[in-house]
Amino acid sequence: MTPTVSASGLSLRYGGTRALDDVSLRLTRGVTGLLGPNGAGKTTLLRVLATAVPPDRGAFTVLGHDPATSRGRQDVRRSLGYLPQTPGFHPDFTAFEFVDYVAILKELTDRGARHREVRRVLEEVDLGDVRGRRIKRLSGGMRQRVALAAALVGDPGFLVLDEPTVGLDPEQRMRFRELIAQAGEGRTVLLSTHQTEDVAMLCNRVVVLAGGQVRFDGTPAELTARAAGQVWSSTERDPGALAGWRTGTGSFRNLGDPPTGADLLEPTLEDGYLLTLDGAGAEVAAA
Amino acid sequence: MNTVMEATAPPVVHSEPRRPWAAVFALARFEARDLLRYIPVLVALVVYIGYILWGLLSEREGMDAFPALQDVDRGTQSAPFLLGIALLVCVNRAALRSRRRGTDRHFDVLVMEPWRRTVAHVLSVVPFAVLTALVVLGEFTWEALKPGAVGHGSVAELAVGPLYVMLCGALGVLFARLVPTVFAAPLLVLGLFTLSVFVSAGTSDAEWSRWLSPVVGENSTETLPSDLIGRPAAWHALYLVGLVLLAATVAVLAGGGRTWHVKAGVAGALALTLTGAVAQSGGVSPELTAARERATATPEKEQSCIRHGASTYCAFPEWTGRTGTWAGVVDRVQALAAGSAAKEQLLVRQRFDATYGLTGDTTIAPLTAPHQVTVGTRWGGNRVPEFAAAVASVLVAGDEAKGGELCDGRMVTVMWLALGGAADPIGDLKNVRLDDSLSGSAIVLAPTNPLSMSAGQTSVTVELLKRPRAEVTAAVKEHWGELTAPGVSTAQVARVLGAEAPKGADECEA
Amino acid sequence: MKGVEGDRRVRGVSGALVWSVGRTVPWRALGAGAVVGLLLVWLPRLGDGPPDPWLALNLLRGAALAFALGLAFLLDDPARHLTVPVTTRRWVRTGLRVAWVAPVAVLWWTAVLALIPEQARPPVGAVTLEAGATAALALAAAATAVRLADEPEPGPSVAASVLTTAILAGLLLPHRWSLFVSPDDPRWEAAHERWAVVLAAAVLVWGVCGPEPLRRGHLLRRHPRGAVPGSP
Repeated sequence: MTPTVSASGLSLRYGGTRALDDVSLRLTRGVTGLLGPNGAGKTTLLRVLATAVPPDRGAFTVLGHDPATSRGRQDVRRSLGYLPQTPGFHPDFTAFEFVDYVAILKELTDRGARHREVRRVLEEVDLGDVRGRRIKRLSGGMRQRVALAAALVGDPGFLVLDEPTVGLDPEQRMRFRELIAQAGEGRTVLLSTHQTEDVAMLCNRVVVLAGGQVRFDGTPAELTARAAGQVWSSTERDPGALAGWRTGTGSFRNLGDPPTGADLLEPTLEDGYLLTLDGAGAEVAAA
Repeated sequence: MNTVMEATAPPVVHSEPRRPWAAVFALARFEARDLLRYIPVLVALVVYIGYILWGLLSEREGMDAFPALQDVDRGTQSAPFLLGIALLVCVNRAALRSRRRGTDRHFDVLVMEPWRRTVAHVLSVVPFAVLTALVVLGEFTWEALKPGAVGHGSVAELAVGPLYVMLCGALGVLFARLVPTVFAAPLLVLGLFTLSVFVSAGTSDAEWSRWLSPVVGENSTETLPSDLIGRPAAWHALYLVGLVLLAATVAVLAGGGRTWHVKAGVAGALALTLTGAVAQSGGVSPELTAARERATATPEKEQSCIRHGASTYCAFPEWTGRTGTWAGVVDRVQALAAGSAAKEQLLVRQRFDATYGLTGDTTIAPLTAPHQVTVGTRWGGNRVPEFAAAVASVLVAGDEAKGGELCDGRMVTVMWLALGGAADPIGDLKNVRLDDSLSGSAIVLAPTNPLSMSAGQTSVTVELLKRPRAEVTAAVKEHWGELTAPGVSTAQVARVLGAEAPKGADECEA
Repeated sequence: MKGVEGDRRVRGVSGALVWSVGRTVPWRALGAGAVVGLLLVWLPRLGDGPPDPWLALNLLRGAALAFALGLAFLLDDPARHLTVPVTTRRWVRTGLRVAWVAPVAVLWWTAVLALIPEQARPPVGAVTLEAGATAALALAAAATAVRLADEPEPGPSVAASVLTTAILAGLLLPHRWSLFVSPDDPRWEAAHERWAVVLAAAVLVWGVCGPEPLRRGHLLRRHPRGAVPGSP
């Protein structure tokens, strides 16, 4: 079966920093989570895949189009929806005008069809009622949804979302997850996030990036399974643990090689993620 | 690390053919609509259209009823000045909007390339240029439909207004691409404006530098036949088209459109601009100079003559339609005269000095042949009593040159003939006198040499004009011989006509 | 600055605050305006021949407008949404910005006047009044924009409005109210009385728009400390 995105050996340097180091991956339909600490290269990878920056080395294709040529890049962009980490807005535009503007830039030329499409995506992100309101009058969560609508307009086959749930309240985040899950039906979504719950709830695939390299690529269940037998509970802080913290019940939750006879706990996706980072020698911020 | 998911079918790919230019036009349309949101653009539009409407609907001067279309076309050029500036500044802001609001990093990965967005920003000015063109056309049509309109307009002159607006917009986009900060545009406007003043002042208004400015006005209020004007209007329009294209293509180039098409466009636009700039600075051709001299020195060779009543009217081809109006004035003046003057067969000849084109106002020498009167190219307002004064002076003195030298009591007769039959004689007297006064001595304007009235002649004339017309007409006709005798004093004239005699003698008696 | 709220406040205003406000002044825009202004008056030195006083006067007006266009950006604050809730009052912050710019403006204007040859220089006091009124007008427009809109950087709109107003004033002011007259015109004195009125009006608008409103939507109503709505 053809993957939507197929990348091999992507490398990119910013000055002396290796932002991407020989990254290869293939993405197919569904939501793929991209996890990683700050500075892991997530945004860089997303920007490369969104054709915003060409890689120094390596190549990738999106839906069979190679962005290394000018024509190929245009073809990639035609089937691309991108939500940048800090999407800018034109505050004097209404939500409708802003998404319409993006739709024009996506070369949706038939005016009637374009307006229908803009209305459709605004309905899809629940902004149908406020589409005539200026963006400067919208709340942060609404603005984020305007940006998502701008990414969704034109029904792109490949959706790149850079930390879309940052700064949203739990309810908004829940709503956003529904939207992303909905968007993931029938298309390929690459979702970068800090939130392991996002991944646990949304993704059928997860890629862990650290130091510009892929540390893990598999299903969330597989990532969780990495921590099987490496999480235990104790009444005192265990000095042998890689990380440990006092939980709400008063006992300590420890990660690492458990002592014999330890009280093993059910691992979570986060445990798997932290252990993956640690196993790769990356800095683990065990709170 | 390579991993392949249990893949399902890839999403549906857009299958419609790519229509990038349609998208550019859609964006241009969006941006044009957005420009209306900028207050300066709105204010400038309202001021521009309001100013034009006010100009058209209120006839401030009598001359407005008799427009010469070869002047009207040029007159449409300066009104869009503010609209152009407002568009320059606001298009500049619109073109910098994405950069300022941080949407660039999103939009740069959308299908439409940044350079096409630049094109769309330039195109967003087109509706405003079209609007300007419509206003200009409306203005011109309005003038052309006036019954008193004469002459021919030039499409190239009419195109300057819309092209200027277009140029301002293109410059706004160009500035945005070259200096991507919002504070640059207003300052650049100021700088460009001053620079243009300097280039023309620094080169003492040489022909080449004068025509570099988008809108080139003329100091003269003279009206010339359209084929003698000698403005390189077509070359200038070509120069402006070149400038618009140059600004637009360089903006696209700076906006990232590095294809050979764009580079060829820059080269082509540069060639157009230079061609226009060189051709328009050629100055006056020898043929035109010869034609101007011919029209100035021997107008009879260019004119056709039409007979109205007893008199003949010779006009340049563009003015033959106006001879009837002149005849009306001549008849009015002659109706007040008696003796041979009332039946005199005059030859009214249109004359002007076109030697220096539109660069200067020169007066023309009076005719010395008997019974010939000069009429100018402009009509309406003050030009009517001025012509009437010339006709009257020829009827009384015999020819124009002698009429200009009148200083005795006959001047009163001349002024009575000229104004006695007018609808508002006192108003006309005021207008025809250089200082707009009704007392004291003053110069009286005429198509050629002016006449002069002493204080005494003025007071007698004013008194006559205030009395019932029939009474004075009868008195003038009765004493015609006495009133037109050379050397008759103003006091004598006053006595004969029953007016209060002025103190002091006439200047030529003194 | 008045230290009405204790020593701590006074130290804050006089020391670090002055310096940090100085760093937030949009020097680039101001500098661009100043440089363009200097270029304008320097240009005639390129040509030879005696300078024309009427041209010199209009160049000075152009230079003043250029500087005013820079001043239109003075109150731009990209961090406005962060700085709104600080305890230092808005009029103190904007006042400090003006205080930073004022000496620069005086130096600049002196330089501009010095660039005009003495025989072509118009009456200095009168031209300075015109320049001051133009600058005050730009500042008043900026303060109004800050007061009426929640936009952190209203500078571009303000500059565009100032430029439009200047052109409109030149084009549309009726003859008897003209502001742009030459020194040998009999209306020179009267025109400068009008300039003084413009200056006064601009300062008044600046004063009204300077303090932060306590209520939304009321441009002119403000309640100073302790005042009760309805009390004089």
